[in-house]
Amino acid sequence: MSYVTIDQVTKGYHHQVVLENISLTLKKGEFATLLGQSGCGKSTLLRSIAGLEDVDSGSIFIDGKDITHISPRQREVGMVFQSYALFPNMNVFDNIAYGLKMKKAKNIKSRVTKMIELVDLVGKEQSYPHQLSGGQQQRVALARALVMEPKVLLLDEPLSALDAKIRKSLQKELKRIQKELEITTIFVTHDQEEAMTMSDRIFVMDKGKIVQSGSPVEIYTSPVNTFVAKFIGNYNVLSMEVFHKLVHSTELNGKEIAIRPEVLQIVSANEDNLGIHDDWGIKGFVKDVSMTGNVLRYEVETEVAAFLVDNLHHKGKMFEQGAQVQIFVPKKECIIL
Amino acid sequence: MKTSLSFHKVIVGFLVIYLLIPLAGTFLFSIAGKWDHTILPESFTMKWYIELFQDERFYGALQHTMFLIVVTVGLSVMIMLPTIFIITVYFSKWEGWLQAAAMLPYGIPPIVGAVGLIKVYSNGPLQITGTPWILVGAYFITILPFMYQGIRNSLSTVNAVQLVDAAELLGATKFQAFRTVVFPNIISGILVSTLLSVALLFSEFAFANLLVGGRFETIQIYLADKLNSSGHLTSAIVITYYSIILLLTGTVLKLTFKKEKVHDISSKKRSLLFLMKPYRQKNTALEGENS
Repeated sequence: MSYVTIDQVTKGYHHQVVLENISLTLKKGEFATLLGQSGCGKSTLLRSIAGLEDVDSGSIFIDGKDITHISPRQREVGMVFQSYALFPNMNVFDNIAYGLKMKKAKNIKSRVTKMIELVDLVGKEQSYPHQLSGGQQQRVALARALVMEPKVLLLDEPLSALDAKIRKSLQKELKRIQKELEITTIFVTHDQEEAMTMSDRIFVMDKGKIVQSGSPVEIYTSPVNTFVAKFIGNYNVLSMEVFHKLVHSTELNGKEIAIRPEVLQIVSANEDNLGIHDDWGIKGFVKDVSMTGNVLRYEVETEVAAFLVDNLHHKGKMFEQGAQVQIFVPKKECIIL
Repeated sequence: MKTSLSFHKVIVGFLVIYLLIPLAGTFLFSIAGKWDHTILPESFTMKWYIELFQDERFYGALQHTMFLIVVTVGLSVMIMLPTIFIITVYFSKWEGWLQAAAMLPYGIPPIVGAVGLIKVYSNGPLQITGTPWILVGAYFITILPFMYQGIRNSLSTVNAVQLVDAAELLGATKFQAFRTVVFPNIISGILVSTLLSVALLFSEFAFANLLVGGRFETIQIYLADKLNSSGHLTSAIVITYYSIILLLTGTVLKLTFKKEKVHDISSKKRSLLFLMKPYRQKNTALEGENS
């Protein structure tokens, strides 16, 4: 039974289509991510769910209720903005208590206190937003949305303004809180790594459409088109013609072929086929090599195409720039697009 | 780096002296007895102030000015604040029109404006020429640019649109969102606009003289009248009403910013004083022309 249903939602600004026939469903408690480059419509979709943007056609259901045309305050969704949008005139406690006060809820104090504990801000109740770090402001924004016990939590690139380290730890914490409360969450990001780590399901968006959806593993290992392959994992994408020329075989057929950089093996030019008969060997030389720490990334130039090859960084096993090498392409890792 | 800093200090120092000397001169003249051929006055006296404070016309004029300012600025805040808020947050495509309308007063010289107003309002259904109400109307338009810029800038500084979005998602109505989240955060911006308008209207002469004149004597008309009798007395008037404005500004600032942090106050006060300077210069120039 789906908990959130978006049915053929379309929206345009000034004759330009921003959302084109978007349909998706989410189960209760699912962590879904809308992933795409800036301008692909992911934030607009999120704002449409929140009621901050009107849709031109289509409908949105949450928990069986059609919310397409009701005001944001009646939708029972919580949202965390990219710039947090904390109320500067209120301290942490009042920011979190704001929604409960508006609803004239009971037990405001105990509910807010519990939320402050959950997001680990004990001792900061009386601080004002400008006295907090970016990460702390983020937690306040999250607590402010969660304390309302929304049916759906919407997160609009909530981590993109933070530095890498805080970002990583907040990713984990966000996931922990989401699991603990079992809250249905829609997360918007342009960072594919972030999407992979956090999501149960990813919806890849491009030019106002959902181009692929699935679990992180599905999206990563079987991209449906060139855009997804390049956006999600630095795939080597070759036209079939070029590929046939390289491997001297016409066994695989299709338009294009995509190969992940980390499945390629790189050995020196005079070495044997390693005894794996399903691999194709291609000769070339190292045009460039860079290191990200645990991974060595080679740019290998062959007679007709360049390849990115990722290898784990082992001591003493590194090819210098200009070295003659061959790369082995495992047959089963080739994805036909 | 160090030389450039001291260079800046010298420039700022010169600027402060340049702005303060006329004021200091005016003050000195207002307490001077005989001052003909010496650098500093030969004798000092309070008799100009005594004369001023015993003049009933002065209190009347001050009252009239205060009345005009309170009514005009109050009306302006009441009308412009919701208007600007609604247009910026909900009808942003109309913002250009509002901006153009708010900037119009810059394009119309007071004399032209006054003649037009007299023509329109001396007959027809609304005959208010010669009454203070026509001044309220004219002043409302005069301070429109200040009100508009101040309020709009503070709305965009606090990112009002997003604050309203956030408040609405938390269950607030549009009005609640404005009252609890937007208004408290732009109050200092409104205050700056208000004080600027007060200062401007305090020294407004052209409209007051042309539209109403002696029938509703404002402080500037009183001042212009006294210019013919004694330079000492007009200096005393200038210093007195300058002190009143300073006192007013100080009190309002203290009341509004007492909750905020110390460094916030000082920076805001500084910006306000900076805004007051053109006005200060204007008064002293008026004095200098006639003495």
